[in-house]
Amino acid sequence: MVVSTLLRKLFRTIKTTFGQFFALAAIVAVGVAVYITMTTAFFNLSRSQQVFYEEKGFGDYFFHVIKAPEGVLKQIQSVPGVIKVTGRIQKDVPVMREDNHRATARLTSYPLPMEKELNRLHLLSGRMFENESGAGITVLTDPQYAQANYLEPGKEIEILAGGKKIPLVFVGTATSPEFIYTMKDAATMLPDSKEFGIIMISHEKAQDILNMQGQVNQVIVKLVPGVDQKEVQKKIEQILEPYGNLAGYPRKDQLSHAALDAELNGLEKGSRILPVLFFIVAAAIQFILLVRLIRSQRLNIGIMKALGYDNRRIILHFTGYALCVTTLGALLGVVCGMFMASGVSGMYAQFFNLPRTIGGINGRAVLYSFIISTVLGAVSGITASWSITGLNPADAMRPEPPRSGGTVFLEKWQWLWRKLHTSWKMSLRSIFRNRSRFWVTVLGVMSAVALLVLALFTSDSVDYMMSRYFTDENRYDYIVKFTQPLSEDEILNWSRWEGVNRIEPVLEVPVKIFAPGADSEKGKSKDNLITGLERSAQLKKVFNQEGEIISIPETGILVNERTAGKLGLKVGDKVRVETKLNIGPSRESFLKVMGINEQLLMAGGAFSSLETANRALGERGLITGVMLKVDPEMGDRIETRLKDMTRVASVLSKSKEKENIMQLMDSMIYFIGIMVIFALILGLAIIYNSSVMGFNERKRELASLRIIGLTNGDVSGLLFKEIGLQSGLGIALGLPAGRLLGELYIQAVSTEMYTMPMVVYPETYLQSAFVALIFVMIGYFFTVRRVKKLDLVEVLKDRE
Amino acid sequence: MAREEVIMQLDNVSRTFMMGEVTVHALKESSLDIFKGELLVILGPSGSGKSTLLNLVGGMDRPTTGRISFKNTELTGASDRALTNFRRNSVGFVFQFFNLISDLTALENVALAAELVADALPVEKALRDVGLDDRLNHFPAQLSGGEQQRVSIARAIVKQPSLVLCDEPTGALDYTTGKVVLKLLDDISHKQGRTVIIVTHNTPIAGMADRVIRMRSGRIIEITENENPLSPERVEW
Repeated sequence: MVVSTLLRKLFRTIKTTFGQFFALAAIVAVGVAVYITMTTAFFNLSRSQQVFYEEKGFGDYFFHVIKAPEGVLKQIQSVPGVIKVTGRIQKDVPVMREDNHRATARLTSYPLPMEKELNRLHLLSGRMFENESGAGITVLTDPQYAQANYLEPGKEIEILAGGKKIPLVFVGTATSPEFIYTMKDAATMLPDSKEFGIIMISHEKAQDILNMQGQVNQVIVKLVPGVDQKEVQKKIEQILEPYGNLAGYPRKDQLSHAALDAELNGLEKGSRILPVLFFIVAAAIQFILLVRLIRSQRLNIGIMKALGYDNRRIILHFTGYALCVTTLGALLGVVCGMFMASGVSGMYAQFFNLPRTIGGINGRAVLYSFIISTVLGAVSGITASWSITGLNPADAMRPEPPRSGGTVFLEKWQWLWRKLHTSWKMSLRSIFRNRSRFWVTVLGVMSAVALLVLALFTSDSVDYMMSRYFTDENRYDYIVKFTQPLSEDEILNWSRWEGVNRIEPVLEVPVKIFAPGADSEKGKSKDNLITGLERSAQLKKVFNQEGEIISIPETGILVNERTAGKLGLKVGDKVRVETKLNIGPSRESFLKVMGINEQLLMAGGAFSSLETANRALGERGLITGVMLKVDPEMGDRIETRLKDMTRVASVLSKSKEKENIMQLMDSMIYFIGIMVIFALILGLAIIYNSSVMGFNERKRELASLRIIGLTNGDVSGLLFKEIGLQSGLGIALGLPAGRLLGELYIQAVSTEMYTMPMVVYPETYLQSAFVALIFVMIGYFFTVRRVKKLDLVEVLKDRE
Repeated sequence: MAREEVIMQLDNVSRTFMMGEVTVHALKESSLDIFKGELLVILGPSGSGKSTLLNLVGGMDRPTTGRISFKNTELTGASDRALTNFRRNSVGFVFQFFNLISDLTALENVALAAELVADALPVEKALRDVGLDDRLNHFPAQLSGGEQQRVSIARAIVKQPSLVLCDEPTGALDYTTGKVVLKLLDDISHKQGRTVIIVTHNTPIAGMADRVIRMRSGRIIEITENENPLSPERVEW
């Protein structure tokens, strides 16, 4: 019975203050929605990954050899700690495309039946390949390659292998844990599905095609969980030693897995930090607003106390209001968040070519959302009502006395104060005497601006990164890579081709760089790619961390800041470098670190002069690629000509690369869009609330001004000055606050794959300030309209 | 009227407030006995301390010095909880500006008080007693000043308190509605036997009182007994 009238009062209060109630709930909802979206998307994706790995028997360790008899598999199987071994063939072969251009296919073999093997395939469309060759040699490809090259079941794919053209019959698409992310190598970073694909074929057929009967060149093993992996690796490498052991690496270094993990890490960090930033801002502002809203119920609290309600019940009642706000907020947030999460998960699943997304509900995130919101509501409600219940009912029923009147500090500067117009003096006095009201609005505007900056700056960073990569670092139009290193002399005449303006040779040497003092057995090392350039290179520029161009040193190398960080390298250190080219023996040399470079996109490489790179290989005059600058109208013809050359492995056009990356950035843009929408909702809700609250708190004061003879215009003018000062200060504080949030965000989301630079263009500051100003004006016009509608007599009669 | 039983005693009670750096002596060493069932009118100009006195009597405030007891129970050092219980069970307030809760209807405003005590009057009866049985579901904003004050009186009496404390109950009302309210208060005292204390600066109201207390500058300057109180109908101002 006691509850019922109070409960009714609670619902009535919600009804009468619904605009504010909803706007407050919206603030919570946005915070929760961001959190749920990000965590659920991450949750779905990482579950998909785990389940998929499990189902398809993804290997723990991978070994590449030149070629080894299948018999070694039995030997490896008997190594303690090994559960299962699969041997196969994997080889990159040129593919003749219909347009007579060449692409590269990674021909990968699968022993049939596949059920007992590792790294099994997941058929996505069509049917499985088989050993029989009645209708030709049947193969599958990854779905991106099939789509990019318009492959239909039954269509022929022609590859070059063992010096012969071999026709294969495309029968469907499949994926597998190792091809979630189909990149050619660590340096390519981005999948280019038109130029590179995976062709899956039966093991027997692959052996036939490549003349490797009874042999394998890759060994995949599954290990007993918890076994000393280094120990097992050593034993297996001993077995493989006679067969040209090229590489042995654990799952964490597998390209696709590493890329997926890096992306998942970024997403996880993002899903942790972004909602937290939003939530902190939302919670802080919601707390302040709720406290003020409840304080405005001072008279009602006084009445209830006078009637004989005890503090506990009064606090419970007003906390109930706060809890309703936060619960509705959490509920809306969870629903919106789940809705958006399924969109974001779907997008990611498509991008990663994961065969399934689990449309899961991240129960823990939902639970946390409710817990955090409830605590937030309880704390704001209790804090707000506590201070009032501490008062005597007699005091509580009197309006809050103004804090000591007196002069404001500006009045100390009489020369300035005297010059001010009376209306300015009134506005300034009003501000200084109602500081908490003033600061609530300032904080509101500040948060809105900061969130807008946070949401918008990412696109500046991306834009900066892109222009740095495509305009400043890479100035070529095409980069050609050869199937194997050739002599520099062989391309001399290319510069005389029609339409070619400039050519510059490149020698890329995959290496392992060791930290100073480390030996090869243990200690830190990092796989890296040294790009040798002419010292006078114009088509590729290297930048330092300050964003300045650094020249290629005559001797020694420039290492990437990430590698330098990981290995603890400084300028002047001498590092041991071991070449890892898959032809010829590996060689060791000591190179001096001449500088630290920074690449924002596609980071990771080291640079040296062509001579230094050659010396590392013990060669002279070798190159692995060429960069070309061409006449724009001749581009297509030159591209065709290059692709027809036998020793050309790939021709990458910068414009196409840019297109690819832009496509990748789509997900980023989608993400930024969501953030901007959130920031807008939050900003509007915050500013709307502070305007309504400000108006309600000073209704009487404004009515009094009207009664003593100020016109609506005069009153609006006074308000305008105050709002102007408040929002001016709010914006001034919000811009650096936004930058600060941005820096926190960047720190949290930087991954191995890329570092986002902290770049905020002046336009972004302007836009954020402008949007906040629009919100402020909406709030202002709302107030002005209410001032006009003020029923002066009623307001003055009403003691509230 | 019967004036045998003292239900409240104030002994040398003072109340000072700090207003910024100034100490305001709102009530200075005042002593007073309050009898069961009497109608007491406290008269005095603004700032004379009459509302302070009323707040102290009603347990809405605590004295700075001096003692207050109610039915032989000490209220001076009583805990917050004890004071709350005192207000809940023994006091009904009627304010100058009604102080109804704007979100609640007349019925609900009264129910809000009724729900606090076990032996409350039926809410509808309390409203019927003040002549508002046809306005039960109206919100304060839909009621006239007199009607609002009557709801506030119903809210005060529904708990069947020993003390009904009224701070300028006719202050915001016109002559006719003021009289209706005074009649109700007179009945509460003289027919129901509850103590009613009315604080006012409207001198003629003193005519209906059993006793009149005059205050000035924080002190009780005179207490007079009224052998023949007027009926409210005959009070004129």
